[in-house]
Amino acid sequence: MAFSSALVLTDLNDYIAPSQACIKPVEVTKSEDKGQTEIKVDNEGSYYEITQDGGEEKLEKASISLDDCLACSGCVTSAESVLISMQSQEELFKILEQNKIALEQNKPEDYLTIVISISPQSRASFAAKYRLTPLQVHHRLVYFFKHFLGAHHVFDTSFTQDLSLVESAREFNDRFKHYMQHGGEALEAAKQQQDLEKAVEDGKPKVRARRRKPNATEEAVSSQQDLPMLASSCPGWVCYAEKTHGEILPFITAAKSPQQMMGSLVKDYFAKKSGLTPNQIYHVSIMPCYDKKLEASRPDFFLESYETREVDCVLTTSEIDKMFHEKNLDLATMTESPIDDMFNKVGLDPATGIETSYGVEGSSSGGALEYLFATAARDLFNIPHIKATESSSHVLIKIGKNADVKEYFLVADDGRILLRFATAYGFRNIQNIVRKIKTGKCNYHYVEVMACPGGCANGGGQLPAESEQVINAKDWVSHVESIYQTCQGVLPENNEIIKNIYNEWIIDPNSERAHQLLRTQYHAVTQNLGNPLATKW
Amino acid sequence: MPHLELVATLEGHQDRVWQASWHPTKTILATCSGDKTVRLWTPISHDNFEQWQCIETLEGAHKRTIRSVDWSPSGNELATASFDATTGIWENDPRDNDWECVATLEGHENEIKSVAWSSTGALLATCSRDKSVWIWEVESDNDFECLSVLQEHTQDVKMVAWHPKSEILASASYDDTIKIWKEDEDDWYCADTLEGHTSTVWSLDFNEEGDQIVSASDDQTLRIWKMYKPDNDQGVMTHNGEATWKTICTLSGFHDRCIYSVSWSKVNGYIASVSGDNSIRIFEKDTEATVNEDEPTYKNIATKKDAHGVYDINGVSWFPTKLHQDWLSTVGDDGLVRIWRVVLD
Repeated sequence: MAFSSALVLTDLNDYIAPSQACIKPVEVTKSEDKGQTEIKVDNEGSYYEITQDGGEEKLEKASISLDDCLACSGCVTSAESVLISMQSQEELFKILEQNKIALEQNKPEDYLTIVISISPQSRASFAAKYRLTPLQVHHRLVYFFKHFLGAHHVFDTSFTQDLSLVESAREFNDRFKHYMQHGGEALEAAKQQQDLEKAVEDGKPKVRARRRKPNATEEAVSSQQDLPMLASSCPGWVCYAEKTHGEILPFITAAKSPQQMMGSLVKDYFAKKSGLTPNQIYHVSIMPCYDKKLEASRPDFFLESYETREVDCVLTTSEIDKMFHEKNLDLATMTESPIDDMFNKVGLDPATGIETSYGVEGSSSGGALEYLFATAARDLFNIPHIKATESSSHVLIKIGKNADVKEYFLVADDGRILLRFATAYGFRNIQNIVRKIKTGKCNYHYVEVMACPGGCANGGGQLPAESEQVINAKDWVSHVESIYQTCQGVLPENNEIIKNIYNEWIIDPNSERAHQLLRTQYHAVTQNLGNPLATKW
Repeated sequence: MPHLELVATLEGHQDRVWQASWHPTKTILATCSGDKTVRLWTPISHDNFEQWQCIETLEGAHKRTIRSVDWSPSGNELATASFDATTGIWENDPRDNDWECVATLEGHENEIKSVAWSSTGALLATCSRDKSVWIWEVESDNDFECLSVLQEHTQDVKMVAWHPKSEILASASYDDTIKIWKEDEDDWYCADTLEGHTSTVWSLDFNEEGDQIVSASDDQTLRIWKMYKPDNDQGVMTHNGEATWKTICTLSGFHDRCIYSVSWSKVNGYIASVSGDNSIRIFEKDTEATVNEDEPTYKNIATKKDAHGVYDINGVSWFPTKLHQDWLSTVGDDGLVRIWRVVLD
């Protein structure tokens, strides 16, 4: 199956090889008058159609472009692996080499400013493997990229995670209000009533309910597409939804992922501040999985006017680790360098004065659920200071059928359930959420959907435990997750730098410009089922 | 000489019939076909088994061939698996005696080849040409939750069958192997892979106890596998604390074409197989010749050639209870369903 969860690359070469089962139909224009025709092939292999009166017409060769491959889902893997292979260590080394030559030959127009964005998940993975703290890893990565390789800036995507969360929360609150105004209020009241009745009934023998047709309000609400809102930062999930469940796309939040937010920030805000054009910057991001390479190469993130991508190259944690080995370096003993003062989340702890690495509250999957939950509680229901990470008088957390499904409920003072959020990681859990949404039985307001069981700490490009360490896979992932969470979260509202960025760069968050910078779109891939050549027997 | 006698021929399907499933307690047979319907058949009267009638036709839920059908252990639901990549769950409302498709399970990428309910009816398994095996759990309100998607076969998975007593699943595939699946905490995993067949394994069935499996293959043989638990007396090596399965008997030289289906009677222990060579063969363990239970001998006690004329026979199924333990059903490419009786004289 084409689902991503543990996508691993093996041999890839540069040869673009469309599968033999390519089903792109050749467009044939029907003409009115023609009778029988013949086809002739000349010495060079060109085809000619010979009509009855002897005239020859050269026939166009059928061609398959990369875009055709991407639009189709017939032999998806070869097109995707082509895109993925265009983003590799080799590409980065080429750019570095190019820069060296540009300096030597004094050709500033060939010189690119290289920006590296590191994800906190990758950092936690290195920290786990090499037994370091995330801050130590960060300092060493700065040394590696800036001083060993020759990159210019090293940023932290925890920084743009905040932008992504703020935008997502804004969207959620709008959707929730819209939903409430269009029948949601009645439905919520009914559900709350049901909850109270169920609490009383629990313990009585269950009577098999007779199926009944939904009433008009329920029908109206079930046809709405505001809620549940679904997370968008996982490209494995987004690509799967686009290919297989096009009807679900309206539910996915339009906010860009932290990676792509950093792309916008670097190629727009940073570029302008540095007096550079977007194509003079080469932006590399270090991510926990390979699907992020697909995300970076989406046409929506291509800046036409400058012919450059917002993120040029994604390298996974394991690809960087491989680079260390190839250069005979060991992260455990690497030199440390000071961290950039821009687009990072490092500061001095007010109590101890020690340099501390800050992060985002919540799980390694980005903290979207936790932030949206707390923000909605505060802005929609006037219940401030909610922490979704632990149960309390207002927060009820339930573990579902397996560790990758958790439910989060916001409970009012009078016991009514105001918000129902959930996580759904891994293919089987995604199946269940999608099915519930399609049949109108999904009661959640927000679902954090991730392709990988265990979340991003367990991404396809993360580092496995050392062979000497006897530890099972699940425990290793928990270990990486706990290291990720040692970076204490700082709310975006309390981050002055983020506020400044908003005021300086975004200016008006509701503007067209803001949406263009901070939001994106999804496109369903339609299958051409009518083509008999597409049916595999 | 024991022989097979034709009890009845059921006509009605408009296309080849793929599988038949006996109701767990009543004398009702469900059959599914390329004509996109499921038909329910029962004898016209208690004392005349030569005449059967089609009491119900379930249609409208699938857009393509229905490849597999299975009764739930309670006899109240039917699961249908189709080439349209969906599985239908049907229920009969006793108040108006109306069969309705109450749920449609989606998720497989292409043709589903088999569906089976577990012995308690709590779980459902489906398998597909997309090489995966899906396990579903039955929830209260006709909702089914996907428990696991198992993607370890390397080719089309042809059939799934549950252990008669525990929640252990076996799957047969075009990759020539059989896999045994078990649950551990919150996820399912492959506990053993049975290798030995040299071509596609089309069908398999457990014996009454569940410690043996018979499998049918395109390599024209049937294999009987026995389960050996860790620290077994026979000294068979096991790995990871898991039971392992080994071939204890191979039945070759009987069918001379692909064997499409096999059924092991849970009542009398007979094995019935049907093939592209148009015959039905019945096998019985030769208790006199079997000295060692780990090397049993089986004999072919009855054969019926051209059971469906020149047409392939797609499925065979023994009657599940003592009531008609000598009956078996066969379904073929001729669109007919035939009920046979094994007569021992």
